[in-house]
Amino acid sequence: MRRVSFLLTLVLACAPGAWTQKAEPAIPRTADGKPDFSGMYQWPTYLPGDERGHSNATTFDRKNFAPLKPGGEAFLEPRTGDPRHDEPRDFCMPAGFPGGILSGNAMQFFQTKNYLVMVHEFQRMTRIIPLDGRPHRKGLEPMYYGDPVGHWEGDTLVVETTNFNRWSLDDYYYTNPKEFRMHSDALRTIEKIRWKNKDTLYYDLTIDDPKIFTRAWSQEFEIKAKPEWESAGLYEYVCEENNRCPGGKCESK
Amino acid sequence: MRRIVIPALLALAALASGIPLLAHHSFAAEFDDQKPIKMTGVITKVEWQNPHIWFYLDVKNPDGTTTNWGFAGGAPGQLMRRGITKDQLKIGETVVVEGFRSKDGSNNASGGRLTFPDGRNVLTAGSQDRVPPQTMPAKP
Repeated sequence: MRRVSFLLTLVLACAPGAWTQKAEPAIPRTADGKPDFSGMYQWPTYLPGDERGHSNATTFDRKNFAPLKPGGEAFLEPRTGDPRHDEPRDFCMPAGFPGGILSGNAMQFFQTKNYLVMVHEFQRMTRIIPLDGRPHRKGLEPMYYGDPVGHWEGDTLVVETTNFNRWSLDDYYYTNPKEFRMHSDALRTIEKIRWKNKDTLYYDLTIDDPKIFTRAWSQEFEIKAKPEWESAGLYEYVCEENNRCPGGKCESK
Repeated sequence: MRRIVIPALLALAALASGIPLLAHHSFAAEFDDQKPIKMTGVITKVEWQNPHIWFYLDVKNPDGTTTNWGFAGGAPGQLMRRGITKDQLKIGETVVVEGFRSKDGSNNASGGRLTFPDGRNVLTAGSQDRVPPQTMPAKP
């Protein structure tokens, strides 16, 4: 009888825990309990319902922009006809951040306790994001990809990147040549990354560029997990290998 | 009738599948989207390399001479993830290529779409390259 009472007590003690478990689907977690973003992904794409879908390089929507500061119009440049200005990537120059991550190629993330490494197939661009609480490095020259550091806010990874050079913001100029968007060297980006559901990441990107905008502004994207791409992994991308027509001048065959 | 209907259906299928119609990082700098081309030729060489694959065709001219044309496709990784592999481009095989001429006027072009002798049709463009329409008459 004593044994039955003990078992009954045990069952009752455990039952509430079972009933109060969160209904949210389990997300991948590391050994220390942090959300685990390791895996293969599609590039950041528009939210469901956006007619632009998942096919193109993703761009920022003008409706999300904060008002421009006086003189901020300078960030919209016309194309000049000089391919080194209009499309430096055609000479294998870097895509930079954030424009590069929005390019339509696969990505692979690797996460350890102290780092998240994002590798994008386009140009094999690699971002190594420390997660150990260190501050930004000092004394660096401005960079195409900036200097990122990350920290956890609950199940959201927040990545702040600073120390950019002036470079293209996104690929919108292929849609409208009158809007060739350049961010300034004062750019600071904030990325917020968390699991939205078991196969999609929420990806919120804040653009804080005080030389151009009156305040910071954000756009939300989603990043689809692509476990079916794991077996093939990322393919090599060496731009200099056979870039036959840089700037529209083709080498002889 | 069949010659009109099939290309029209293929074009509709391309639109329905959401294939992008925008250019990407090299297309606008290298190719002229106002100069679409469609050519039939024999594959002479394939360069399965980054940043874009190139394949070359011997194309017969109306005067009986032959010109070797180069066609740029997407990056190897983009194409392989789409199921297009190097061994599908066979030296000596006659194919039809649709694309846009290079800006420098040389015998080079983007090769966005490739049709094999059995009629199979694959999109060889980069994921953001201009996709050629499928209703152009074959030239030369």
